[in-house]
Amino acid sequence: MSGEAAHVALRSEAGAGSVLALSGTLDVESAASARREIVTQVGEARPRALAVDAAGIERGDMSGMALLYELAEGRLVPGVRASIRGLRPEFQTLLSAFPSTEALAGIEAPASPGRFLTHVGAATLSMLTDIRAQLAFLGGVVLGFLAVLRHPRAMRWREVGVVFEKAGVNALPIVSLISFLMGLVIAFEAAQPLEMFGAQIFIANMIGLVMIREFSPIFTAIIFAGRSGSAFAAEIGTMKVNEELNALETMGLDPLRFLVIQRVFAGTMLMPVLAAYSMVWGVLGGVVVMMAMGFPFAQIWTQLVGALGVWDVIVGISKSFVFGAIIAGLGCLRGMQTQEGPNAVGDSTTRAVVAGILMIILVDAVYSVLTYVLHV
Amino acid sequence: MSEAPVVISVQGVTIGYGDRVVQKDITFDVRRGEVFVILGGSGCGKSSLLKNMIGLYRPIAGRILYDGDDIVTAEGDDRLRLLRKFGVMYQSGALFGSMTVLENVRLPMDEFTDLGGAEKELVAAAKLNQVGLLDASARKPSALSGGMQKRAGIARAMALDPGILFLDEPSAGLDPITSAGLDRTILELSKGLGITFVVVTHELQSIYAIADRCVMLDARTKTMIAEGKPADLRDHAKDPYVRQFFLRQADPAAAATEGSRSS
Repeated sequence: MSGEAAHVALRSEAGAGSVLALSGTLDVESAASARREIVTQVGEARPRALAVDAAGIERGDMSGMALLYELAEGRLVPGVRASIRGLRPEFQTLLSAFPSTEALAGIEAPASPGRFLTHVGAATLSMLTDIRAQLAFLGGVVLGFLAVLRHPRAMRWREVGVVFEKAGVNALPIVSLISFLMGLVIAFEAAQPLEMFGAQIFIANMIGLVMIREFSPIFTAIIFAGRSGSAFAAEIGTMKVNEELNALETMGLDPLRFLVIQRVFAGTMLMPVLAAYSMVWGVLGGVVVMMAMGFPFAQIWTQLVGALGVWDVIVGISKSFVFGAIIAGLGCLRGMQTQEGPNAVGDSTTRAVVAGILMIILVDAVYSVLTYVLHV
Repeated sequence: MSEAPVVISVQGVTIGYGDRVVQKDITFDVRRGEVFVILGGSGCGKSSLLKNMIGLYRPIAGRILYDGDDIVTAEGDDRLRLLRKFGVMYQSGALFGSMTVLENVRLPMDEFTDLGGAEKELVAAAKLNQVGLLDASARKPSALSGGMQKRAGIARAMALDPGILFLDEPSAGLDPITSAGLDRTILELSKGLGITFVVVTHELQSIYAIADRCVMLDARTKTMIAEGKPADLRDHAKDPYVRQFFLRQADPAAAATEGSRSS
């Protein structure tokens, strides 16, 4: 802090052996250069006994006193332990704050990384615990829904409306844009290979099937997971960190009923609507490309209607119900599982989005196998 | 104490948010090595004044001098040099949750010194030893109690050996034993090492235990209404609100009655 230097001088004294005289300022700014000087001088001389004359130290701080501590403990120049003399009382106070070597060695070490098998075991246990928590949560949500069916007024409908607005209405622009562009991209990508067979009219079939059975439900679900699943986790996670969940419980209110049921209900009802909306925009994107290629709208429409069956729409819409329930449920669950600490809410949000997207893909794969087997 | 040089001089400072004045015409000096307490009722602007003193906020008017240099107008390297003169312990401890306690204390040394890794570790351990937290070095802040977090905050504030430490509500939310332990730590650092403390608090027991001098802010008049030693203010202050505060009474009339009985 001072910018002043420490002076280091090694000399021999009759009867006292080697004496290292330190003077001037020994603080955080001068400590590094003083350290180099001491190591050089004492390292070359390697005295059997070393005394440090600290009477000349006029200013100092903890970083400076660390040098004296290391000299006294033989840590600075291995094998050379020094005795300190002449140190002013205020610096003695600083020096006495340094812990003993034993105490330093006894500082509890961070948890060791452990062996590979330990990691695998811990991860497996954690996964099983999580599956159990998810099942318990699912049970709680189902029971909550049953209770709402018996007493519809128990549902906080106003909150349902808020979720519809935030997760639904506010998401319409982004869903429109992504779906329209997706339809556009698919149409352009399909145009070239189909042109080789003179079959560009079948772009309409492809757009219809791909958007309605797969892409609209999947992409809408991913948008919903990113926008709303994460928001559910962050909202409930913050409430948990602020002990609002504890407050609910001590008031006799079930957090599941109070916070989760309406979000899961809203998510489940909202997703099919968003998916249907996305289907319209996706198909529109493909239609625009086809019209640009010179196909009349009536021909495109006839081709589209002929290619699509009721079951295609049922498959697309039905999986959206499931996606909505999964994303909203996982968002709420991860929020309620939020731990303590500054990263906790962020971790919960990440886990909600990652788990949500993973489950969407898994469920979609199951749907694909089932619809193939059932020929729908 | 009166012989000690002035290290902080607050001169005619007015603080506020936008157009709203919180406190005006604040003037006092803090001398080297003393424990100076800023006190007052809830919401009077104690913490706001502290944030102005440490350069987080800019006062509406006035000067705040550290050894003669004004932190209000200082910029660039000059400001950095002034900031190095003091350390701050925030009300919540403000420890970085992703780091261990030792790493928290080491952080300022990593950024601002050319000490070697082992030396920084050693000095950080010594700081933690000073506040009685050596055993908790490897823990994350979330694994510490409220009192331990505050002590770790003090250790981090001392990392670069500043001559001045600002403490914002050090006793808030602590049990009496932990609070007394913290008071003892403050006194040891002040009287043993000559560190100057500026403490914001309204905990009377702490004020009596640690304060050499104090200044009292008032939310009604929006200015300082008393300055001096706590016992003097309690026994001799002319403003009934000051005596009411120190006697922990509900209204000024009761304070006047209590005062006349004791005298």
